[in-house]
Amino acid sequence: MSPHHRTPDDDEFDPPRRSFFVHLLTATISVLVGVVPLIFGGLFFLDPLVRSGRKKRDATGFLRLGITVDSLPADGTPMKLKVVADKVDAWNFYPNVPIGNVWLRRMESGEVLAFNATCPHLGCAVGYRDSEHDFYCPCHTSAFDVDGNRTNDIPPRDMDILETDIDDDGRIAIEFIAYRTGESTKIPL
Amino acid sequence: MIPDLLDWLDHRTGYKEVLSDALYERVPGGARWRYIWGSTLVFTFFVQVITGFFLWAAYCPSAQTAWESVYFIQEVMFLGWLVRGIHHYAAQLMIVLMGVHLIQVVVDGAYRAPREINFWLGLILMQIVLGLSLTGYLLPWDQKGYYATQVATNIVGSAPVVGPQVQQLVQGGTSYGHHTLTRFFALHAGLLPVLLVGFLVLHVAFFRRHGLTARDPERAPDVSFWPDQVLREAVACLVVLAVVLLLAIFAGADLSAPADPTEDYAAARPEWYFLSIFRFLKFEAIEQFGVAFGAIYIPGIIMGIITLFPLIALMSGGHRFNVIFMSVLAVAIAGLTVLSLYEDSNNPDHQAALTEADRDGHRARELAAGPEKIPIGGAVQLMRADPFTRGPRIFAEQCASCHRYNGHNGRGSLVTLKDRETEEITVVPLTAADLGNFGSKDWMRAVVCDYQEHFKAWRNTQWFKNAEADGDTDEILNPEASEMADWSGDQQSLLSEENSDNLNALIEFLVSETGRSDMQLDSELVATGRKVATTGSWLGALEGTACTDCHASLGDEYEEGRDGDGYPDIAKYGSAMWLKSFISNPGSPQHYGDKNQMPTFEGRLSEDDLELLVRWMVKDYPPNEVEDKQGS
Repeated sequence: MSPHHRTPDDDEFDPPRRSFFVHLLTATISVLVGVVPLIFGGLFFLDPLVRSGRKKRDATGFLRLGITVDSLPADGTPMKLKVVADKVDAWNFYPNVPIGNVWLRRMESGEVLAFNATCPHLGCAVGYRDSEHDFYCPCHTSAFDVDGNRTNDIPPRDMDILETDIDDDGRIAIEFIAYRTGESTKIPL
Repeated sequence: MIPDLLDWLDHRTGYKEVLSDALYERVPGGARWRYIWGSTLVFTFFVQVITGFFLWAAYCPSAQTAWESVYFIQEVMFLGWLVRGIHHYAAQLMIVLMGVHLIQVVVDGAYRAPREINFWLGLILMQIVLGLSLTGYLLPWDQKGYYATQVATNIVGSAPVVGPQVQQLVQGGTSYGHHTLTRFFALHAGLLPVLLVGFLVLHVAFFRRHGLTARDPERAPDVSFWPDQVLREAVACLVVLAVVLLLAIFAGADLSAPADPTEDYAAARPEWYFLSIFRFLKFEAIEQFGVAFGAIYIPGIIMGIITLFPLIALMSGGHRFNVIFMSVLAVAIAGLTVLSLYEDSNNPDHQAALTEADRDGHRARELAAGPEKIPIGGAVQLMRADPFTRGPRIFAEQCASCHRYNGHNGRGSLVTLKDRETEEITVVPLTAADLGNFGSKDWMRAVVCDYQEHFKAWRNTQWFKNAEADGDTDEILNPEASEMADWSGDQQSLLSEENSDNLNALIEFLVSETGRSDMQLDSELVATGRKVATTGSWLGALEGTACTDCHASLGDEYEEGRDGDGYPDIAKYGSAMWLKSFISNPGSPQHYGDKNQMPTFEGRLSEDDLELLVRWMVKDYPPNEVEDKQGS
């Protein structure tokens, strides 16, 4: 569309002058019609932040893990377990599905130490290294001792300890909470 | 500072010249409203791209998630209803604007040399927009879109030579499924918009090259595009936006029930702008030549002639022919559309189907919003397991040839019969009870006090007429001559002042025996009623009679297989358990025995369907806020 190819009647001409008001009005309406759909669309996109009635992750309460204290290794070696609970994902409801992993350790006192298996650094899955007797995240080499204390400066905090509850029959229940990663303190999601 | 920066930018990009070319385009004869159409189309497309992107970010194309995600957008997400409403109505307005733009271009002769190529580009753009409409209509995966699009893809399949192959490619298989949605979505949000942008760029570039087709260049002094013409176009876009917003806010985009290939959808119609071709295909004179003739060849020929407009215009009288052709076409399209709408509005069955579609759509959204949310198998599972949805359909199929539901077949249609010779349509008379209020107080009162009238429909049956002719009326269910008819027939005593309390209590008790949770009952009255039924507390002529004289088990628990000893077992009469037993085998000794005339439904109705039918009849289903128009 170079000017050289324009038709002869498209030569320069002197358009009539219009008042500032006409220019302003034209510009205003033009911007308005363009911006309105963008605003509505943008607000819709903000749904996860603004939807009314959307609760912060509700406390799941204590969830039974289906095992007893006796079944954990007596020497305190950590054991990984899936946490099973009902899950809601947008419009779907999933009854009794795995929602996350925990590491459990049987302490000498008979108590159970439970960790969320999600790395507090950036959310990878923390594993247990038999050779080193420690927890180790393969993503960015976060490492923790068996009590969950960090042993290098990669993770911003120790592993997230979860509340446990053991009934008279020794069955273990935990309060499964996910925390924000990358923070030096535990902030529930 | 800023001017320096702009100069720097201009030196690097040359934007000033581009901008000045765009804004100071010459408008011969002055700015006019009639030039706005192209701009409104570009604007609606812009709106579609914006809203489309955001909908895309929430849409999930698969047979088990498409409806569900659209439901979630529509009913749960913040402003989702508005964004979807805008997208829905802007799409329709785009079709209207496209029609106006085409007509205006033809009438003003803007398609003539040297603008032929631009005209053809416009026609290509039109096909792309129609393609976007068609693909977009299916994406919600609701009954409406599903069945309407089936027609379109089957038309593709009717195309000569490679039709079936093309159909399979488009559908991603021989039938609809996940891949139909992924393919339609890839076309709708990927290929077609990209093509549209590409052709639009050419269209606008060629338009700029040849300038505006002035209707009357001497009308007024020339002006520049900015601000005179831009103002008009901006105002026009504002009007378009206002109309779209009003429709989105006050009419809203519909979402019918989730697509279910096993559930018929009598309300199926294409979107309104395809109604003309839809109606055209219903002419037998057209259809006898095959689907491809009316749906592909004829529209193809019409498009072909429109494509040739610039060449036809070269001949003398050509332009006049084109304008006339365009006018006739517009009138034909409008005429067929109106005809189709008129016929539908006068077709009671179609109206009933629309009511039902509306009811189903509401119900689906209501169930999806329930505490159980949507199962992984999709919302269609909710509908298939819902007595409120399935009950009326099963009733219409299995029961409505004899029974009615408040006068209709359960789904809102009258049961009619067409005389083969006179072609006269008559309403088929009832041959069994109308079950619309089954188990309610009215029903119980009618059975007790008005047995003759309540079951008079039996008189319309052939078995009754035969028995009457043979004089065997003692051996059949007889609303007029039977022990129950006699007892109920003693109206003087039954309805007397002295028995009024007894009667009310009995009715209350009978209703309580149904075990239904939707009835408001007075427990004291129920207890009194139990006494009336079992010991008989009647005064006057009925003194000494009790229901249990004949119906010995009344008041007991229901027991399957009990022998009624010649009388129907009405323990827990009207409850789900009783109904199931009765419907399964009405001729068993527990029910009507040898006198029974109703078909045995054991083995004829599946367990699931029987359950759904019975639960619907006793109103045992998740509460409905949907107005049950068919129930009244």
